[in-house]
Amino acid sequence: MKKFMIAALAASLSLGVSFAAMAADKVGVVVKIGGIPWFNAMDAGIKEQGAKLGLDAFMVGPTSADPALQVRAIEDLIAQGVKVIGVVPNDAKVLEPVLAKAKQAGIFVITHESPSQKGADWNFELASSTGFGEAHAKLLAEKMGGKGEYAVFVGSLTVPLHNAWADAAVAYLKSNYPDMKLVGERYGVAEDVDKSRSTALDLISAHPDLKGFLAFGSQGPIGAGRAVEERRKTGEIFVLGPFSPGQGQKLIKSGAISGGFMWNPKQAGEVFVTMAARLIKGESVKDGDDIPGLGVIKPAGNDIIVDQLLPINKDTVDELAGMGL
Amino acid sequence: MTAILNRIKVALGPDMAGPGFALIAVLVIFSLASPQFFSWATFGSVAFQLPELGLLTLAMLLPVLTGGLNLAITFTANIAGLTVAWVLQQNGGADAGPFAFFLGSVLGIGVGALSGVVMGLVIAYTRAHPILVSLSMMIFLRGLGEFLTRGGDVSGFPAFLQPLGHGSILGFPVPLLVFIGCVLIWHLLLTRMKLGFNTYMIGSNIEAARYSGVNTRKVLVLVYTLSGAMCAIAGIIMLARFNSVRVGHGESYLLITVLACFLGGVNPFGGFGRVIPVAVALVVLQLLSSGLNILGANQHLATAVWGILLITVMILRFAAGHFQSLKRKKG
Repeated sequence: MKKFMIAALAASLSLGVSFAAMAADKVGVVVKIGGIPWFNAMDAGIKEQGAKLGLDAFMVGPTSADPALQVRAIEDLIAQGVKVIGVVPNDAKVLEPVLAKAKQAGIFVITHESPSQKGADWNFELASSTGFGEAHAKLLAEKMGGKGEYAVFVGSLTVPLHNAWADAAVAYLKSNYPDMKLVGERYGVAEDVDKSRSTALDLISAHPDLKGFLAFGSQGPIGAGRAVEERRKTGEIFVLGPFSPGQGQKLIKSGAISGGFMWNPKQAGEVFVTMAARLIKGESVKDGDDIPGLGVIKPAGNDIIVDQLLPINKDTVDELAGMGL
Repeated sequence: MTAILNRIKVALGPDMAGPGFALIAVLVIFSLASPQFFSWATFGSVAFQLPELGLLTLAMLLPVLTGGLNLAITFTANIAGLTVAWVLQQNGGADAGPFAFFLGSVLGIGVGALSGVVMGLVIAYTRAHPILVSLSMMIFLRGLGEFLTRGGDVSGFPAFLQPLGHGSILGFPVPLLVFIGCVLIWHLLLTRMKLGFNTYMIGSNIEAARYSGVNTRKVLVLVYTLSGAMCAIAGIIMLARFNSVRVGHGESYLLITVLACFLGGVNPFGGFGRVIPVAVALVVLQLLSSGLNILGANQHLATAVWGILLITVMILRFAAGHFQSLKRKKG
């Protein structure tokens, strides 16, 4: 009786688990963290493109942004016998050994937002780091009138891409707008709304001449925007950065966030699966190939970098939010 | 026939029933649900993931047996890992030699043990509750680590460390071998040594143990020291597996180690519990988590299922005890 009860319990639990056709090749994509809008959109892209190309493609979202959990998830994907593993790394270095293990098992590895990732067959970016950083820097300079103090947030000090954007933006401002001054160091808070908000509040108090925030990381502009709204500095302090339009819709309409650029996470999800299909079929990935979602590519090393920027502003935000982003 | 059965029963012990039963249930259910579950790759995945959690659970086990708790285990592990990383970095980072690693490991285990000594002394002499003492230690170590690393990662270790986290010897993952070694040491300590016996005595009744001539203070200090040293070993394995050290690595493991202890039949008030059932309980938890991943279930569901498993095992244990006492009355 007891055994039966446990069996029934477990069976009912496993009913909630999705079973896909066993025959289709599997593509597993491990993202930074599950359940936030950005990666929900990516999930939608992965599933749609998987259905279109006849692959069993799915996303794994760890319960917290602990790099250790990504290592575990990848180990389980290897055990599951997937053909392709996609990763959006929390920490590029932590993943090196486990990605090497995946390659040994004959699995293709595709990463996103992690330039020159060791252990990856391909890493793709929908925005070049200089292009993306400079686009934000230009907009910030325009809003601030080319002078005043600004602060920079990144997702974490160990996310290579966020730091590359920040490097490009800071370098651009330094050479083109000598009157703009960076305050403090880089703050690695922009994957967390509360930390971004409290850091922004502290910075506003500490630096009365602060006129701008460049926040690279999906939650950074939201947190900084809320801080600006709380201090009633809308129109005096400008917040720029990539963020999820649905989440920041109100803030951008009220002017607490001035704008930013993004790429479409749903498109990134689709690219994961498109690339996976190409690798499984043995099709080429080389200079001049036109890959749907990426356009004509020009790989450098294992990096495929294209500029597919979408501006987020008062006019575009509704449409983007309507897409579920 | 019944004699043999009885022998097995005695050898396994009654506390084996819960985890043993859960192990069989998990194996049966997952192999029915997914054809890929019973494969070498799955067990490889489990074998690589088990040790880091397992070593921390061993570190938790000794204090729990004395009726205490060590909440500082994950941070002690990472501080020990940081010590190793620091020694490696001082000796050339990625070019450091094996001796630097050896020296670092000794220092790291020393740091782990030191945090244990401090906790043990405070608990033994001030008689403050272990939860409070280890919580204070946890907050201290976390703050210290975040201060030293500024919340970031330390990485760039020599290549010879990789096999320690990801290599295999004769098909057995190296971290698993380290874990099995530590399980055996703990088993011998608790079953064959005076310290082990005294640990159980203190957990059962500390006053009675003291009046029987057991130096309870010394035993408590030793127990927490060993716990700290075991954390350090876990920290070194985590360093090799993640190729980096961060104060927050494995923060999510803390409560799972407590869960594994109780699932393994350890009495939360101390005094009773064995190492082997706890190891089996760990295997169950890891199989459950990997199995759900292999089925493609949501990660958050795995956490929920762990909770359900613990509650179920507690109910079963109560029912089994009730059933046995009824049988005894009738007989």
